[in-house]
Amino acid sequence: MAVLTVDSIDCYYGSVRVLENVCLSVEERDFVGVLGPNGSGKTTLLRSISRTLKPHRGVIFLNDVDIYALKSVEVAKQMAVVPQDNVIAFNFTALDIVLMGRNPHLSRFQMESEKDVAIARKTMELTNTWHLAKRPLNELSGGEKQRVIIARALAQEPKVLLLDEPTVHLDINNQLETMDLLKELCIKKGLIVLAVFHDFNLAARYCDSAILLNDGKIISMGNLDAVLTSENIRKVFQVDAVVKKHPITNSLYIIPISMLKPPLSRKLSVHLICGAGTGTTLMKILAEEGYNVTAGVLNVLDTDYETAQLLKIPVTSEAPFSPITEETYKVNLEMMSKASAVVITAVPFGYANLRNLEVAKEALERGIPTFVIEEVPIEQRDFTKGKAEKHLTELKSKGAIFVKNQNELLSLLDILEDKLNMTKELSSKIPGHFKSETNSCEVDEVDDSKSSNF
Amino acid sequence: MSTNGVETTYFRRVSRWKLLLIILTVVLVLTIVLSLNVGFAQIPFSTILQILAKRIPFLGSLIGPSNISYPEERIILEIRMPRILAGALVGAALSAAGVVYQGIFKNPMADPYVLGVSAGAAVGASLAIVFGIGFTLFGVNTMPILAFAGSLVAVFIVYNISRVGSRVPVTTLLLSGIAVSIFLSAIVAILQVIAGKKLHAVVFWLMGGFSGVEWKDVWAILPLIFIGTVIIYFFARDLNILSLGEETAQNLGVDVEKVKKVLLIFGSLVTAAAVSISGLIGFIGLMIPHITRIMIGPDHRVLLPTSIIVGASFLVICDAVARVIVSPVELPVGVITALSGGPFFIYLLRKKKESYGV
Repeated sequence: MAVLTVDSIDCYYGSVRVLENVCLSVEERDFVGVLGPNGSGKTTLLRSISRTLKPHRGVIFLNDVDIYALKSVEVAKQMAVVPQDNVIAFNFTALDIVLMGRNPHLSRFQMESEKDVAIARKTMELTNTWHLAKRPLNELSGGEKQRVIIARALAQEPKVLLLDEPTVHLDINNQLETMDLLKELCIKKGLIVLAVFHDFNLAARYCDSAILLNDGKIISMGNLDAVLTSENIRKVFQVDAVVKKHPITNSLYIIPISMLKPPLSRKLSVHLICGAGTGTTLMKILAEEGYNVTAGVLNVLDTDYETAQLLKIPVTSEAPFSPITEETYKVNLEMMSKASAVVITAVPFGYANLRNLEVAKEALERGIPTFVIEEVPIEQRDFTKGKAEKHLTELKSKGAIFVKNQNELLSLLDILEDKLNMTKELSSKIPGHFKSETNSCEVDEVDDSKSSNF
Repeated sequence: MSTNGVETTYFRRVSRWKLLLIILTVVLVLTIVLSLNVGFAQIPFSTILQILAKRIPFLGSLIGPSNISYPEERIILEIRMPRILAGALVGAALSAAGVVYQGIFKNPMADPYVLGVSAGAAVGASLAIVFGIGFTLFGVNTMPILAFAGSLVAVFIVYNISRVGSRVPVTTLLLSGIAVSIFLSAIVAILQVIAGKKLHAVVFWLMGGFSGVEWKDVWAILPLIFIGTVIIYFFARDLNILSLGEETAQNLGVDVEKVKKVLLIFGSLVTAAAVSISGLIGFIGLMIPHITRIMIGPDHRVLLPTSIIVGASFLVICDAVARVIVSPVELPVGVITALSGGPFFIYLLRKKKESYGV
């Protein structure tokens, strides 16, 4: 049975609609992450569930009772909130603050009993804050404060715990500790946790399910696998991301790759000769800078091959761990000949990929500028008894440009691009001139013909 | 440190509070008795004690006819006593209201007058003085009544200006309080200009004081202030929780808007009652809560009663000083509280600066 049900609510701040037709239901032991970009309505959703912001339309049920029909004391006995910022006006001690969590359970004239202090102590021990009990809250660090506030929420002995970015002030250790604690309470005591997260990976590690909000609407909801997909992330955040299962924690993890930017308009296309990860960063940079990138020959399963797949870069590929065959060599040659520059990274050369250097030689002969990145001296990565080195020397003599690193390469590519543009501009302007001249000639001719007609 | 110590200290704190309150109450009683000794007419302290003792059942019958003269008894019981008790009541009311307003507004500069109580009362009192609106109506002095009514009208206006639906945001409340106060002060200024010979009376009222207070004034404000502060005290724990912010307080089960409304109504009521007989006495409501907070911490369940007793004692002392410091002329007590309060406030600011390293 659903403990908490949100039935198609709309929320407004003034005349601005911040939530639209939001529906969800949460059951005991659910650990739900609320995700979404800034301003997507995450906090608003928590506020309306916590009986702070009444929705204009729709109902929120807590154990089948409309929470806005309940008194705040009744809600506070079942639901606790850990807000994002905690500014406290006076110098209350941490214990005072946690004891305030007992408020819904005390009558107006009751003082806190030993039982209440015992509960406060237990929750403070759980959040590792009991040693801070006598310290004024305002003197504590952000992380300590946050844990005291969580202790206060737990002192309410709630069935539902709402948290607004609970780990934002915490260091890695405290993040895991806090999340482990929440997870444990969720599993052992059946506590429902509904928390806003900015850190997708933390959410992915602890949540059972997630709600992805954008612009006040639920984009996706349900199991993590269904919500945390690269398509959803792209749709909501305009970010390219890779979603994978982590080999150790077995939870999903997300690596943002890049912002989706309108592609820069570059004319230059670059063919990369790389492998074993030497081309990974370069591929990403070149792709982001707007170059048309191709690569080859790369063995399937090579790191660079995988990166190229990810970045959707065309590759001439060879079967895993196999030397380059004549056929692939030709395909690669074909691909390379369309490029306006060839770049050879500091890839180790063995007999299997030696032919990639022959491609480069071919490129030079066809007048395609060729760059060699020499981050690592060739002697250290030549496993062909000097053959690769010989090839490189030959390339040098044929006019290959040797650069020390990526940055040098990028600035040279820039210059090359400018040159290319200039010649293009020139060639586009010159025929234009001719055209207008011919036009005027035509006009003249027409005039002439007219005059001759008369 | 033994963890059990924390609990013990916590519960010992409550008994410490009780002890402190008892001590302070004794101090208040002593202050009242001692200040009976202060005044233009020299009356021996032993005579004063006899006069008081005569009034106490059983003890009174033990004291035989003595050398107490009728004028002495009258001065003590009919002139000094009501005036001192009025001082204690007003000090208590203003301190309680100060605690409430600082708690609600979470602003150290908040005092009982932020909602325009003072300006409203000033308009009422000035009207009564300047136009002499039937100085007695059915034998009752109308000036306190007009002052009382004026202050409540002002608060009512401020409250309704700030109201958004069923909610009253504190920032708006604070700002509309200032706006209405400025407007009403301008009216008082106009009244002062046309006051002519009565200007002296208006100015004297504005500075606050207890000269001429009678028993019937005490009886008029006693129930209002007593009931008001008791009701305020019921909400002491809610005031604690309100310091976490209104939204959090709501989440902790406090019915914020209701609590705020009750506290604002009764805070204004006790302030209006106090102001109606004493005029505008500054600084008490601002500084007594600060002093007691430094003394015993921020918990309103002890802060409120402590402030009430300390405020009462302080105003009784200030009034005693006002009566004799430039004798035979009497200074308005508002001058004494401001003279002692101003420097204190500067000290407080300096101290805060140090502790926050600003």
